[in-house]
Amino acid sequence: MGCGVTKNSEFNRKFDKDGNAIPAAITMKAAVLIQRWYRQYAARMEMRRRYTWNIFQSMEYADLQDQIKLYNFLGYLMDNFTPSSSERNLISHIFRDNEVCRDAEWERYFNYTNIDVPEIYSGPRLTFPLDMDQAADLVEAFKNKQQLHSRYVLQLLLETWKLLRVLPNINRVSTCHSKEITICGDLHGQLEDLLLIFYKNGMPSLEKPYVFNGDYVDRGKDSIEILLILFAFLLVFPGDVYLNRGNHEDHIINLRYGFTKEVLNKYKLHGKRILKLLQKIFSWLPLVTVIDQRVLIVHGGISDTTDLALIARIDRHRYVSALRPPKRKTPSRTNVYADSERYDEMIICKNRRGSLTFPKPFGARESFQRRSLQDFSSTVARTLEEEFEVRRRQAEFSMSRFSKSHRSLSSTLSSDSEPESSELIDTGNDEWKQILDLLWSDPMPQDGCIPNEVRGGGCYWGPDVTEDFLNRHNLQLIIRSHECKQDGYEFCHNRKVLTLFSASNYYEVGSNRGAFVRLGPDLVPYFFPYQATSMTRGLSFPQNVKRTEHTALKVLREQLFVHKSDLLRAFQEIDKENTGLICLNDWASAIERVLHLDLPWRVLHPQLVSSTTEGKLDYQGWFRDLALKKPSSEHIEQTMLETLYRHRSTLETIFRIVDTDNSGLITFEDFRQTLKLLSAYLKKEISDEVINELVISTDTNNDGSIDIDEFMEAFRLVDKSRLKRGKSLLKLMQDNESLPQVTETPQIVYSTAPQTSHCPASQPADPPASNTTDSACLQTANTPASQTADSPGSLTEGCPASQMEDLCHITVVVVPPQ
Amino acid sequence: MAPKKKEEPKPAAAPKPPEPEPPKEPEFNPAEVKLEFTAEQIEDFKDAFQLFDRTPTNEMKITYAQCGDLIRALGQNPTNAEVMHVLGKPKAEDMNVKMLDFDQFLPMHQHICKAKDRGTFEDFVEGLRVFDKEGNGTVMGAELRHVLATLGEKMKEDEVEQLMAGQEDANGCINYEAFVKHIMAG
Repeated sequence: MGCGVTKNSEFNRKFDKDGNAIPAAITMKAAVLIQRWYRQYAARMEMRRRYTWNIFQSMEYADLQDQIKLYNFLGYLMDNFTPSSSERNLISHIFRDNEVCRDAEWERYFNYTNIDVPEIYSGPRLTFPLDMDQAADLVEAFKNKQQLHSRYVLQLLLETWKLLRVLPNINRVSTCHSKEITICGDLHGQLEDLLLIFYKNGMPSLEKPYVFNGDYVDRGKDSIEILLILFAFLLVFPGDVYLNRGNHEDHIINLRYGFTKEVLNKYKLHGKRILKLLQKIFSWLPLVTVIDQRVLIVHGGISDTTDLALIARIDRHRYVSALRPPKRKTPSRTNVYADSERYDEMIICKNRRGSLTFPKPFGARESFQRRSLQDFSSTVARTLEEEFEVRRRQAEFSMSRFSKSHRSLSSTLSSDSEPESSELIDTGNDEWKQILDLLWSDPMPQDGCIPNEVRGGGCYWGPDVTEDFLNRHNLQLIIRSHECKQDGYEFCHNRKVLTLFSASNYYEVGSNRGAFVRLGPDLVPYFFPYQATSMTRGLSFPQNVKRTEHTALKVLREQLFVHKSDLLRAFQEIDKENTGLICLNDWASAIERVLHLDLPWRVLHPQLVSSTTEGKLDYQGWFRDLALKKPSSEHIEQTMLETLYRHRSTLETIFRIVDTDNSGLITFEDFRQTLKLLSAYLKKEISDEVINELVISTDTNNDGSIDIDEFMEAFRLVDKSRLKRGKSLLKLMQDNESLPQVTETPQIVYSTAPQTSHCPASQPADPPASNTTDSACLQTANTPASQTADSPGSLTEGCPASQMEDLCHITVVVVPPQ
Repeated sequence: MAPKKKEEPKPAAAPKPPEPEPPKEPEFNPAEVKLEFTAEQIEDFKDAFQLFDRTPTNEMKITYAQCGDLIRALGQNPTNAEVMHVLGKPKAEDMNVKMLDFDQFLPMHQHICKAKDRGTFEDFVEGLRVFDKEGNGTVMGAELRHVLATLGEKMKEDEVEQLMAGQEDANGCINYEAFVKHIMAG
């Protein structure tokens, strides 16, 4: 029976309390019983782990899709609004191409020499050229939560920029001299993980070369620190540190996923310049790394058209954002335009439309792009004649302003049948596609290569494409990142593709491990998984699963709740007799129709539904059960609030785009325009009354402008307990007489702001271990007076009341903003 | 001259009580199993089945190795032997290779569901009480670990660890009623 071998030996004899020997059979039976139960327990745990993972992943991808859609929508606006419309002006700047690098000018703009460093600044003071000790000191400083002064930041970034400009698109590394190369995947602003890697593996040096595979920023809260560390080591060991570009090294993505916000919050005075410089640096990051001409390291992946020879030749810095098509190279372009800005826009419009109307080799992906735009208007599907007409009109408009010498150029604008011009578009688009594929693609198990519709960019590529690619380029392995994996790494495609992910606890504390890889001359990968444990200390695997599951379900409930109106409508359509009841099957299929998350709703239903009677669910009651406290306003209708809440990420992204000077503030008028944009995007009416009400009810600084962060504060679902606590802190702060008036909006408040992150929910319900609260409470004097909204929100949750009072005192330290 | 080897009759085998032959279990025949699940239940099973389905194109197939996990995740607790039985006693190397689809799975699951000796809370507690030397409601953690890893359908060391994590008190004892509640509650 069974697989166990029973030894009927004395050793296994058991005795009861009277000293009588228990027959072996009974012992055996008992053992088997326990084992059976254990196995059931383990299986159930595994199931929970799986659906939890699915929940997080679907929500992450849904969010990403939203970003792409938004971007396409804005592009559509650019193409189709008249040049002078106010909406267009608001957003045109993100489509403005990077000016050709006139370095001297830029270096003047990024000049740091007139930035003074105050005496009391106790962070690292860098001198260039950097050396190993300074790099190590920098790591140490960040470990101690210090912040590098903006002067040094700019200086370091400038040096980095200069270095990156001379690097090729393809880094070539060799493992000669028995050097083992360490490779790391996505870090996403999680400094803890980088420190852990350095702790386990040592810091980069001549003997210890490193390759970092992109996605250093966004989502986590220490993105800038990670960048500074990596750049510092790059400067000290340029022959032994290799950085690849990831899809998040892209200012448009940064607007939504937290990096822009982080920099602006940490560097209030100079943040804008730092971001601009980073834009350039990102565009200059190399695209891929090749080890020993055998192993390819790239952030996203490949497609069936990926060609390393072509990639080597690209001017990579022209692609500031992988989401933006390139500026066309025009032969007669000089600098004497009266309105070069408008010209740029026209060129860009032309390119984009070019991609819509000309038959392209990309086929499926282009039609996907076109489809997304078609979502927004039926007029997009224009005939060719209409296209030419529009373009001719635009050309005429510009022609009237330009001198004759450019007429030839304008004429090429209107007659696109010229092979030369279309060729130029082709090359531009070819290169663009190559980069997009490198940075955004994902592997799939089936053969073939199809557009990556989940992410909205790049493609899904199959094992046959891998095989073909490796053969063509004489390679043996592809190492990529871009996707979170449970154990930090995962092979696929017959072990020819390795996914490596270095941000542990990515979705939630305990959700996954991170890993780094070491390759020696034998090119056999050795894996080193880890998990940053400050918050998972002492938690067993089942506890981790439960905790992660708890958060996932909370997030899911929130999603269900904010889709209440749509769900209600769907339920009522099914429940034609208006009984208020709906069977489980219908419930599950209705939810899937509305949310499109592809989740196992039946498996999840015990967690989401408290009770059913005779297999039927009372849906009104269910919504009541789900109810969380909503932000309320007497004048604004609930469904409108719900809509705005649901799309708050999009709203915030539009805000940040509209906030052209990156100050964190926008005018009333722009705010109004933003809401109109959102209304058009969602195809939902947001009436003027609502907009006015929102403007009025937002607690502005009384200076005619709206603080973006503050506005977004209003849009958080707060559950009652947290609200109570929040109120008490506020009261505490108000009561505390010795608290001088802080003119800036105090940002260290009851806000546990949902990070614009993968996990739309705020902090986990259980306050993290005291480590984080300690570190947050003891911010040094170097940081600006108001703490970032992104700092561990657990300030209020974890801190006992007495500490809160101390907190109030600490935040009062006034330091000249950096 | 070598003495002729006398063919000695072998000494009669010591009369050993013949080992009771394990009842020859009939091979599992899925066709004979009458499916008694309701439509609702089948929908539930389908959902869970899909969760375990790791085929590229969502073909609704799982490996033999996953079958036991799925049955357990759905609330049953068969022994490994029982799982192997319904799978038709596959070879070890087949476990990760051979697949079954949902229709093949149902009769297997039904058979397990119908099995009599399911084990209740009390049975489980009884099972543990066997190891309660002092009769005081606790068992020695170390002993339990040993038993689980060496007897019956042996568990691996990390499985034992996972099971026992945080259950032992300062003296290394486990209050087994609490333990059972912990396992059954998941």
